[in-house]
Amino acid sequence: MRGFFSALVFLWFSFAPWVQAATGHSHHRMSLDANGATMNANDDVLPRDCSRIQAEHSFEVHAGHRYARDVPGAMFGYNIAEFHVEPCSQVSVTLVNEDEVRHQWMLHGLPRYLYPGGMFHLEVSGGHRRTASFIVPSDEKTYLVHCDMSQHMEKGMKAQLKVGRGSGDFWSVPGISGDLEAGPAARRPEWRRFALEFLAALLVSLLAWRWAGAGRRR
Amino acid sequence: MRRTGAPAWIALLAVLGLLVSFPPQWYPRPVKLQLADWFGPPDYHANPPSVETELPAPEAYCPEDVPDWRQAYEIEGVSIAAAPQCRSDNPWTIAASVRGTNNVSADVLMKSGLTTDAVTKGEDTDGDGDPDEIHIRLEVAELNGFSPETPTPVPRYALAPGIEPGLWVFAPKFAGMSTENFESMKARDGLRLPSPAIRVEQGDHVLITLENTHYMPHTLHLHGSDHPFRAIGGEGNDGVPFASEMPVMPGQSRTYELQPRNAGTKFYHCHVQPQVHVMMGLQGLFIIEENRPDNWVQTFNIGDGEVRAPSRAVRENYEREYDLHYTDVDAELNRRIQQGNDVRSITRSMHRDYDATEASSDYFALNGVSFPYTFRESLVVVRPDERIKLRVVNGGRDGIALHTHGHTMTVTDRDGIPSPTGARITRDVVWLATAQRLDIQLNTANDGQGAYGPGIWLFHDHGSKAITSDGIGPGGHISAIVYEEFLGKDGWPATQGVSWDPYFTAAYYQRKVPVWDRYAPGLFSDAGEDRGLNIRLGLMAMFLALLLAALYRLGKHG
Repeated sequence: MRGFFSALVFLWFSFAPWVQAATGHSHHRMSLDANGATMNANDDVLPRDCSRIQAEHSFEVHAGHRYARDVPGAMFGYNIAEFHVEPCSQVSVTLVNEDEVRHQWMLHGLPRYLYPGGMFHLEVSGGHRRTASFIVPSDEKTYLVHCDMSQHMEKGMKAQLKVGRGSGDFWSVPGISGDLEAGPAARRPEWRRFALEFLAALLVSLLAWRWAGAGRRR
Repeated sequence: MRRTGAPAWIALLAVLGLLVSFPPQWYPRPVKLQLADWFGPPDYHANPPSVETELPAPEAYCPEDVPDWRQAYEIEGVSIAAAPQCRSDNPWTIAASVRGTNNVSADVLMKSGLTTDAVTKGEDTDGDGDPDEIHIRLEVAELNGFSPETPTPVPRYALAPGIEPGLWVFAPKFAGMSTENFESMKARDGLRLPSPAIRVEQGDHVLITLENTHYMPHTLHLHGSDHPFRAIGGEGNDGVPFASEMPVMPGQSRTYELQPRNAGTKFYHCHVQPQVHVMMGLQGLFIIEENRPDNWVQTFNIGDGEVRAPSRAVRENYEREYDLHYTDVDAELNRRIQQGNDVRSITRSMHRDYDATEASSDYFALNGVSFPYTFRESLVVVRPDERIKLRVVNGGRDGIALHTHGHTMTVTDRDGIPSPTGARITRDVVWLATAQRLDIQLNTANDGQGAYGPGIWLFHDHGSKAITSDGIGPGGHISAIVYEEFLGKDGWPATQGVSWDPYFTAAYYQRKVPVWDRYAPGLFSDAGEDRGLNIRLGLMAMFLALLLAALYRLGKHG
């Protein structure tokens, strides 16, 4: 069995490590290998509105269940919830996956003429790391960052990248912004507590009334 | 006395008004008879006329096969049969499932959508020309879950028009996003109900790694398959948290092992809080094919249905093979993942607030879809004089009395164990208990017993619930045995009789469309409102208010 696994590991790593391909009807620049996938990496083509790269940023983002432990009710998370860069920056992201399952770092809202679908995508298998970079345009804007595996964003894997001062905040970024749809469970009051509070308030009012009335009679 | 006079008269007037405006159709029967005795029956008043129900634009019955997946393919030595019905699987995913994601070219892998380690195939240990070391990876995906940003569920997956219950599935390991593209909320191709049918060969060394990508603990239980209680490392291998092992926690993985000695149609499912997790969709067919030389089996049959690259043993005896997986949904359970985002609240709601002893199913699916979507992809397509193998599993809460129109079924195996030839029974209704598997042989020779000749012949549960969607019929898991000559070019069956337009609208299953509205306009439509009744009710409300006001005045001053 051990021989079988060594053979598999060998096969994975000898298997077309960098493949440039166009899949189906989409035309993303994609590379896929045993430790994950990258889409639309760009480290040399400037956006139309940039004459040169203004700054270089490098982020090491850790992803996994442990980064949700400080967010009650969440299950997955990143160690960084907000990124700040200057206009026309080159941004290099290293995603370190500390779980044993896939995770992604996906950024939306980039210009489509340069990034098909307007996105930059890093996907990393459990226990691996992967680095790629992209260049942001000059406008001050906030970009959505998330893991697009089913329910990972909803359960905590959400962040935002601000170019300059950004253009506001996204909803539901852990530690930064609240939910638009909290769901009926969060809207449901504790009726028993409300009843106790109401009775207490009633009692206090009656006592106050009686005391005030007694004062007047004196 | 003078001051109370006016209110008293007004009260009397109000009582009289109430009596006069009281609708005659509400009079007690003896009163009606007495009145008829005195005055004869009342005059004729026509019932309110029919109202026309606006039918929303129906969905396309058979959306265009844009990627051209239905035709026959030969991909890297894998022969993939043409798929005759409207919707079909990605042939590159089939090819990668047969050869192994480690043995196909980069181009095939990319088109398959699978990751490099989704299903790897290693050494041919018995030297018979096919791989015997198989490593499968499964993830856990939620469909139609809650979103804190949108009122619609995500990623979306519909059983039928407008029916999107929350679901959990075991999913093959696909690279990339869970939605079909960046603008869409729809689940990507292959991410769907049911959990995929998995095929291995008898005697294979099989490893299945469960990568728990979901936010709750899960396990894998290989129901009916020959597997040891402990894996080689001593860890539990049966998937039961209170008997063999800790469940696989979110973000973690565990590898299950087996080397099955017997072939047969088996089952797999999560065994954590199974009254909830199995019913949410964490269950699939597990098929152990008989060992044959050069027998490359199609490891994943995504969405079940026709096996487009059947094994050698099956091809020896049958022209076609279908996997049929029945599941059902209790809306009361499945909506609980759509109501909030706090994992703790969802956990409580599903495992403590929900009471499985009070469960009753509302939606019924065959291979992950309900009628009318079953006619896109869950048909059994045949030609005359063929032998067809059906592998059927009942993953629902209740038993199924499976009935075929125009054909009888011969049960060859029960729960993956062959019945002796003399003990095989042939029937037009077969019973499937929950979790039970039957291997069924259909014979389409037109002999008056096995088959009555070409047509569009339904097959369905003969119980009354499962042929509806939440009580609205036709719905549930109604599907059909369809002869190829009855299929259009696009794979849609040439049905006769009534239009299917209402069935392809969400409004029909939301009870907004009269069931026979299109048969004969007006005849069975909804009746309009009775204006006379409404006028009388309005008058009664007025007189009642007047009476109360008068009584109040009387009470105060009288």
